Amino acid sequence: MVQPLLDIAGLNVAFHTYGYRAHVLKDVSLTIPEGGRVALIGETGSGKSVTAKTILGTLPANAAVESGAVRFAGRDVLTLPEAERDAMKGTAFSIIMQDPLSSFNPVFRIGRHLDDVMRFADRRLGRASKEQERTRQIHAVLRKVQLSDPERICRAYPAQLSGGMRQRVLIALALLHQPRLLIADEPGTALDVTTQDEIMKLINRLVAENGLSLLMITHNLGVVRQMADDIYVMRHGEIVEHGALRTLFTAPRQDYTRQLVEAIPPLYGPQVTDQPPVATPPIVELAGVWKTFRERRLIGRGSAHDAVRDVSLSIRQGEIFGLAGESGSGKTTVARMIMGLIGPSAGTISVAGTALAGTVRSEAFRRLTQIVYQNPGTSLNPKRTVGQTLSVPLTFSGLERARHGERITRLLRQVDLAPHYVSKYPHELSGGQKQRVAIARALAANPKIIVLDEPTSALDVSVQKNVIALLQRLRDELGLTYLFISHDLSLMRNFCSRIAIMLKGEIVEEGEPKSVFAAPEHPYTRALIAAVPVMAEEEERMKPSVSLEERRRFLVDAVA
Amino acid sequence: MSLAAAPEPQTLTTRYMAWYRFTRNPAAVIGGLMVVSVVLAAVFAPLIAPYPDHVGAVVDFRNRHAPPSAEHWFGTDKVGRDILTRVVFGFRVSLLLVIGVLGVAVPVGAALGLLAGYFSGLVERIITGFTNVMLAIPPLVMALAIGNVLEPNLVNAMLAITLLWWTWHARLVYRVSKSIAMEDYIEAARLAGASHWHVLTREILPNCVSVISVKTTLDAAFVILFGATLSFLGLGVKPPTPDLGSMVADGRQFLPEMWWGVLAPGFAIFYATLGFNLLGDGLRDMFDVEA
Repeated sequence: MVQPLLDIAGLNVAFHTYGYRAHVLKDVSLTIPEGGRVALIGETGSGKSVTAKTILGTLPANAAVESGAVRFAGRDVLTLPEAERDAMKGTAFSIIMQDPLSSFNPVFRIGRHLDDVMRFADRRLGRASKEQERTRQIHAVLRKVQLSDPERICRAYPAQLSGGMRQRVLIALALLHQPRLLIADEPGTALDVTTQDEIMKLINRLVAENGLSLLMITHNLGVVRQMADDIYVMRHGEIVEHGALRTLFTAPRQDYTRQLVEAIPPLYGPQVTDQPPVATPPIVELAGVWKTFRERRLIGRGSAHDAVRDVSLSIRQGEIFGLAGESGSGKTTVARMIMGLIGPSAGTISVAGTALAGTVRSEAFRRLTQIVYQNPGTSLNPKRTVGQTLSVPLTFSGLERARHGERITRLLRQVDLAPHYVSKYPHELSGGQKQRVAIARALAANPKIIVLDEPTSALDVSVQKNVIALLQRLRDELGLTYLFISHDLSLMRNFCSRIAIMLKGEIVEEGEPKSVFAAPEHPYTRALIAAVPVMAEEEERMKPSVSLEERRRFLVDAVA
Repeated sequence: MSLAAAPEPQTLTTRYMAWYRFTRNPAAVIGGLMVVSVVLAAVFAPLIAPYPDHVGAVVDFRNRHAPPSAEHWFGTDKVGRDILTRVVFGFRVSLLLVIGVLGVAVPVGAALGLLAGYFSGLVERIITGFTNVMLAIPPLVMALAIGNVLEPNLVNAMLAITLLWWTWHARLVYRVSKSIAMEDYIEAARLAGASHWHVLTREILPNCVSVISVKTTLDAAFVILFGATLSFLGLGVKPPTPDLGSMVADGRQFLPEMWWGVLAPGFAIFYATLGFNLLGDGLRDMFDVEA
């Protein structure tokens, strides 16, 4: 039998915090063959990253490997002396970090980051290296990750590069010493889909061209399909299922895997849900709306930036209107104008028949629009219990104190939370539960329109599925209108009754999801849809095609 | 109706985690015990002190400058009063100063900081501008000025310190509340119709409490030190009231022969200051905040 490159056997890892022992990896076994692409998938807190850290030897001080072995090319790295193990970092295996921004020190130029890693790795290997030699090598690696002007990149500070470019530099960092195993910890998750797609293609190509092995850690099953041949599914620190890509996705043996696969909204195919179109009078109307942000300077002329350009749209009552687009496309600005939080620079906005003048949020207007934020971690006050948070809209809409309890219980019930949650603090809740509380808070004001600002993007897919089902039920029961802001096109395909695609402040395409996805007109829409990671070959084939020229025109990070 | 099936996340209460962090930190626990001992000594001074009547204008010239002995553990001063007794009562004055100064400076500073952090624009500019001007005045100069214009005594010393001390709290709370004011939950509260008063006192202030308490504890040390400095310079407590700073000043004239005259009060200042500092550092680690 051929010896696998990496062989993890019966690994048990525990963390000791606050006098308690938390068993985070339970008897984890995993093998990566030489040149193999293996994916480790699982939801938040399943132990994926801890597994990677154990391989790399970067576990925090309060973690302990209790038993098991991590054999790299036959040698157990856990028993190696520290110096030898350190020498393996970057040379035997290296990691592509998840967060392209916080992985760099903002005060150093990119070249310095790369050179430091190179120099210290050389030193650990007991090799003296000349600066010119290192620079040459760095430039070569940067070209390999499709950064065409290495000199400029090396001179740039991290903040001067786009997210996609920084992610490429992170990949370059991992490749500096031609490691044999590349560990990718959710690369590109923080980026837009189109950029993420480019990054995935790049990693795939690098792995194939250089004969690397890949351990892909992700929660995105669509990505897995493109990136791995062999899949391990993790849950609560255990490997629950292992199998080849094809069999695992099409015929999962475990209920958990099946749930994961089914929770993913399909982009094409028979499983797609079509929301019935709504033929009611419009409740929100925007006509020729512009929003210009001006930056004033003490000296010289300030600069102006058009966040929204000439947007006209109408949202019908009872509709789920989707506003899609990448970061910085102006979708949140549009939502904030509809909420009356900021005023338009030009054009008119009317909500429920009344024209919005300025940013005044009157008592009546409050009952019209409410919002659910993207990040469950920051949308609830950490110092206030669920009950206290929910009582704010009740108090200020004039409900007597005595009736609060009854109303709060009803609100919690509406979002599927048990009444005893009333006394919990946000840190005692999971992400999905926090989002339910945020929805309950929005409902408490009895609004007609709720702005959903990527309400599920920070949640695991299975949780997302439940929250989306809840939102749908609430709309049906309470006759709400949703403005759904997202960049997740497959989710919007199934959840929205109408969508609009925004690019650089303009709406480039609008219509029912069914027709937009079947025959996207604008090349940008096509590029967006084509970049969405999907679960099945058939879906892949149904995606629209995009020419290289179109991609270059609309996608900042696209490289030939 | 089905209820959310998600498993309960690990629920260790914040209080438990904070207590755990605090008790695993020896410096914090020692600091806490030191502070408690100072407070207890001050509160029960008449019961602890061996010669409670030596607090006043007692003169016992036969016993003047007596070295430490079984009767007088830390010796006696230039008029024959028991130094231990006066040190224990000296804690009272020090803590009174702390309570007087911080009791006014902290609420005022916190309130101004909150307002400046939450309301942007004119309110913010006026408060931060005024704070910066006040920060530029050296506290000792202020104390000298007030001591000369009014009358050098404990109340005026407190007044002088208080007039400048609030600025630090204003700046700290301003910084914290400004970042909290940007959070989604503040906007959500406003969207739900909450008044400014509600947002300031119920949403932002609770998030500042940990920072304020850490800063206040650390401040207590500095106020004791600063009060002692003022008394040493003759700007603080008037005799015969026992005060650690003026005791050091008195004893200084008889150095180095009668070393015990400054040793006990000097050590008492050091002890109280160190205690508050250690406790403050421990609280900072416990709350995990920057102050």
